[in-house]
Amino acid sequence: MLDFLGKLATPEFFFSIIRISVPIIFATLAAIVVEKAGFANIGLEGLMMFSALSGSLVSYYAGSWFWGLLAALATGVLMSLAMGFFAFRLKTDIILVGIAINMMGSGGTLFLCKVITNLTEGKAMASTTGLITRALCIPNIDIPLIEKIPFLGGIISGHNLLTYLAFLFCILTSVMLYKTPLGLNIRATGENPNAASSVGVSVLKIKYTAIAFSGLMSGFGGAFMSMAYAQGWSQDMVSGRGFIALAAQAMGGGECLGGTLSALVFGFAQALGIKFSAIGLDSNLASPIPYAVTIIGLVIFAVARNNRMKKRHTLAAVSEAKAKK
Amino acid sequence: MPDEKKLAAEEYVVRMKKITKVYSNGAAANREVDFDLRKGEIHALMGENGAGKSTLMKMLFGLEQPTSGTIVVNGETLKLTSPSVAIAHGIGMVHQHFMLVPSLSVAENMVLGMVPQKSGMFIDRAKAIELTKEYSERFNLFVEPEAKVMDIPVGMKQKVEILKALVRGAKILIMDEPTAVLTSQETAELFVELKHLKAQGYTIVFISHKLNEIMEITDRLTILRGGRSMGVYNTCDVSKEEISRLMVGRDVVLEVQKGKAVPGRPVLRVRNLEYVNDWNKKMLDKISFDVREGEILGIAGVEGNGQKELIDMLFSFNTPDAGEATVNGVSILGCPQEKIRALGISLVPEDRMLNGIAAGASIEENVISDRASKKKFNRGPLFNMKAIHEEADRLIREYAVLCKSRSQHIGMLSGGNIQKVVVAREFSSSPVLILADQPTRGIDVGATEFIRKKLVELSRSGVAVLLVSADLNEVMELSDSLIVMHGGQIAAYFEDTSDLTDDIMGEYMLGLKQQSAEEIGRVCHD
Amino acid sequence: MTRKRQLRFTVIRSLVAILIALLVATVLIFISAEGKTFMDKLQATGEALKQLLLGPIFRFSKNAGLSFEAKRLLDIFAAMIPIIFTGLSVCVMFSANQFNLGAEGGIMLGAFVAAMVAIYLPLPAGIHPLVAVLLCGTAVSVVMLIPALLKAKLNVSEMVCSLMLNYIIMYVIKFLMNSFLADKSKGQIQSHRFLESANIPAMVNDPLFIGAKLTWGFPLALIAVLLCGLFMYRSRWGYSIRMIGINQEFARYSGMNVGKTIVLSQLIGGFLAGAGGGIEMLGRYETFSWNALPGYGWTGITIAILAGNNPYMVPLAAFFMAYLSKGCDLMATYARVPAQLINIIQGVIFLFFAADRFLSKYRQKLVVKSAEEELARAGALKED
Repeated sequence: MLDFLGKLATPEFFFSIIRISVPIIFATLAAIVVEKAGFANIGLEGLMMFSALSGSLVSYYAGSWFWGLLAALATGVLMSLAMGFFAFRLKTDIILVGIAINMMGSGGTLFLCKVITNLTEGKAMASTTGLITRALCIPNIDIPLIEKIPFLGGIISGHNLLTYLAFLFCILTSVMLYKTPLGLNIRATGENPNAASSVGVSVLKIKYTAIAFSGLMSGFGGAFMSMAYAQGWSQDMVSGRGFIALAAQAMGGGECLGGTLSALVFGFAQALGIKFSAIGLDSNLASPIPYAVTIIGLVIFAVARNNRMKKRHTLAAVSEAKAKK
Repeated sequence: MPDEKKLAAEEYVVRMKKITKVYSNGAAANREVDFDLRKGEIHALMGENGAGKSTLMKMLFGLEQPTSGTIVVNGETLKLTSPSVAIAHGIGMVHQHFMLVPSLSVAENMVLGMVPQKSGMFIDRAKAIELTKEYSERFNLFVEPEAKVMDIPVGMKQKVEILKALVRGAKILIMDEPTAVLTSQETAELFVELKHLKAQGYTIVFISHKLNEIMEITDRLTILRGGRSMGVYNTCDVSKEEISRLMVGRDVVLEVQKGKAVPGRPVLRVRNLEYVNDWNKKMLDKISFDVREGEILGIAGVEGNGQKELIDMLFSFNTPDAGEATVNGVSILGCPQEKIRALGISLVPEDRMLNGIAAGASIEENVISDRASKKKFNRGPLFNMKAIHEEADRLIREYAVLCKSRSQHIGMLSGGNIQKVVVAREFSSSPVLILADQPTRGIDVGATEFIRKKLVELSRSGVAVLLVSADLNEVMELSDSLIVMHGGQIAAYFEDTSDLTDDIMGEYMLGLKQQSAEEIGRVCHD
Repeated sequence: MTRKRQLRFTVIRSLVAILIALLVATVLIFISAEGKTFMDKLQATGEALKQLLLGPIFRFSKNAGLSFEAKRLLDIFAAMIPIIFTGLSVCVMFSANQFNLGAEGGIMLGAFVAAMVAIYLPLPAGIHPLVAVLLCGTAVSVVMLIPALLKAKLNVSEMVCSLMLNYIIMYVIKFLMNSFLADKSKGQIQSHRFLESANIPAMVNDPLFIGAKLTWGFPLALIAVLLCGLFMYRSRWGYSIRMIGINQEFARYSGMNVGKTIVLSQLIGGFLAGAGGGIEMLGRYETFSWNALPGYGWTGITIAILAGNNPYMVPLAAFFMAYLSKGCDLMATYARVPAQLINIIQGVIFLFFAADRFLSKYRQKLVVKSAEEELARAGALKED
């Protein structure tokens, strides 16, 4: 047991937690912003699948990860806008739109992958792992001075470009929500759309902006999956990270910092699972750990929320009684 | 002649001519209404619920578009397609339900949609606060710029709304029943502020149906009835009685023939009910009363004085902080609704669309919702469809619900017929106590009369009735005895309603008067 | 709007949605079609479409042309069995406004439990499959208690919770198979053979239809449709479920036990998915070898949307989906269009079916027409 713990207390283990958390962080930020705008995007999973595919393919054809990344982002944004069209214009229940995107994201991506590779490579491929070389992946970055720091350097330095971007976006998203007019409009729209529209804020525009933002973040998440986490796209590679992000959003109290921390908790659960299988445990027993942790996390969050509400009420009663005296 | 015409045009800041509004469902809210505003006046727009006041003002504020007619603002004929257009032409509106974002600060609410920026992208918070302070001082409307809206009292919220309109350059302010949510003190304060605004040349539309307020503060008034204008008057030239006649008119006052009540033993007993809401406001303060068999006890009061909370407690939608309530000796607080109904309590809810019906279901499905699991309507695991059809048909017939068949979607019916379905269900469950919350709000005269008659009929057969209504006419007509709620307390109890007048009621409703504890105590028949 | 017009609108709307989906499919087929020139591609697309649209029940031959193929029709019926069950499962849960997406994991768990009963619990033939199916339905019901109770008691999102459960179920089953239950004599991971007594017997197993087999699972599925329909429209519990779905506040106010009904809807949904998994497993397989979620749960969601949550419409929707799926398979075989095209068609149809405002202008026209007619009729009455 002690021996196992010793294996955990390594820079590599903490490094892997961060690495594993990245796509969840991106998706969580996506979930946070749309939730602030007053709705839920459960299609993050599907959006990431499409972005992961398009990113890896374009990276291969263009011979550059940069174009691949751009393609992944564009895919995320365009598809999320299409989701917005169905939800806001055609009044489809946004949850059903999300389900549809996820359905297509699973088999539909495989279809596209086969068709496209068949057209260009002359044979239908069920994944793009054969096409993506190390050079076509998004590069890792060693931070000059920090990498020298013992232990800590091993954790912080050497991550993928998108990993640093994920944490940067955590801060940027928070700033966007709380320090810019756009963020103010998003929060107002989510909380009281009538109030927002009564002062000339276009609620529809804000909703489209929010869902496009969620598409952008999914684009980053998807690109990370197929061009950093793994080399190339394969079916169902996102494996529930988009759903876990929905839980992370709730557990983080709908805030960027809390959400990111929750994402890291899930990353920890998964890293732990991987360690378990490394010491000989069946990976099938280790793999469900993050999903189970998600349910437990949701329960803890719900209990805490209920208690807080109760407390708030009794507090209100007490302070009122005091004021009377 | 041309000169005079020109003068007239300048004198009026708004002229709405022959405005007709027909909604897509065919209901005509306004018919050929003329309405105009002179610069610097406070103009009352009066009328009963559903007279078309709100619709008319929504058109002036660009929330709705007239079916026909023209709107001229400052001499310019306009198409007010959205609130933004109205705001751009100096028209602002203070809604009855505040258009504020609770979790944002006062200053943030002030600048929403026109946020001052620094470094090209960030909110300039200091500037927003400064702006709020500046307007607050200039117009003598005190607000706390940095407080969150959810933490401030109602009166201050309203000031934020007024300031929001002013900061957007409004010269014409539409105020939709601004005093409905205010305490008497806050109302007095508001009037001082409105006079101040008037002195600075602002024009104010004051929507209300409270006569005293109208007489006190307005210069002219326009009265609407049934969607039509009943004329424009100088406030000083008309008496309260005349206004009241124009507003209500004999045809609408429905006198209900009811014999004298012979109250039996108390059915509902409420003792010392207390409740503080989530925003820290004491909504129920030691409420005690009884409702006896065979009597209609009315609760009058300006909306928002605890009536809603009281009903919520009695039907167990919420639990009070202290106190007790029993029906025939059984405690009802915090019970599941299943048990509440088993005890014979019925509720005609305030908002029928919110919880009174399932709009997407059929009339039949709506009318049996409280009794679907009763033995009579089931045979083994399945419904006894014959019994259910019979029940539905019987109720549709008895309550004269106008519909194609029992399987029609209830959402397709008119408001009055929907309410009849609700009432049919609630009155036919052989209740011992009926809680009737605004039972005739927003429905046509025929249905109103029908429902009132049924209510009296039931009470005379021995059912205890608690009637809550914002319609003063209704509570005074129907109630055998009456309590007035103000600020979460019972302000008065009248054992006999026959010689009550509006004026007396008004004084208690607005908190100008308060009966002694002893007088109020008589409502508990121990 | 009159009922006739309402019906007409629904039919036209459905057809347009399907047409759009087929249009999208055609474009995608064209892109993926083989051929050097435009005309070649067009011809290949035509071939593929023929397979997609007619292939499922017809056979093409050079000399005889089109001929009806009963075997393929039976195959479609067989394919309908599991998705009827997941469709019903989703119908019940969505009717109560519970977005429980656990039918996917539910059907896998059901299949697994059925397999275990079939292998390790010897019972007489006839009773064996019955017990197996009841047990697997119950097992999944019990698992669905997790999202159901968490939703009812703590207001935890049943959607996220059930999605997580899908993954957990899949991995736990894989773990159990790998570690304990696999038949080690086989090269791939599969269970031991089911006992003979556990098989759901074939209803049609005519050697004339080479390999065509339809088990008694099919009539069982149709009976489930009937029972489910009766439950939803003719029983007090189904009534409560529907009312809660339409307006939860109304249900609470009417005295219905909202929490209990929310739990009930998911228990029944779980039972149906589990039973479907069991019937599929015992009717079609001899060993358990699933190593991933089968996808029937997602198809079930599409079916529920197509059926408008009405159990009676589920067989029709299931037939449609099974037909399309078969068509896609045939396209993959004969025209080399990847079979996953079905997912895209499914998604597009799903989106348009669920869209409230889709063709709303046309609907508005019908409403106005009805209103006008009514007015005219009222006017005529007055004149009389």
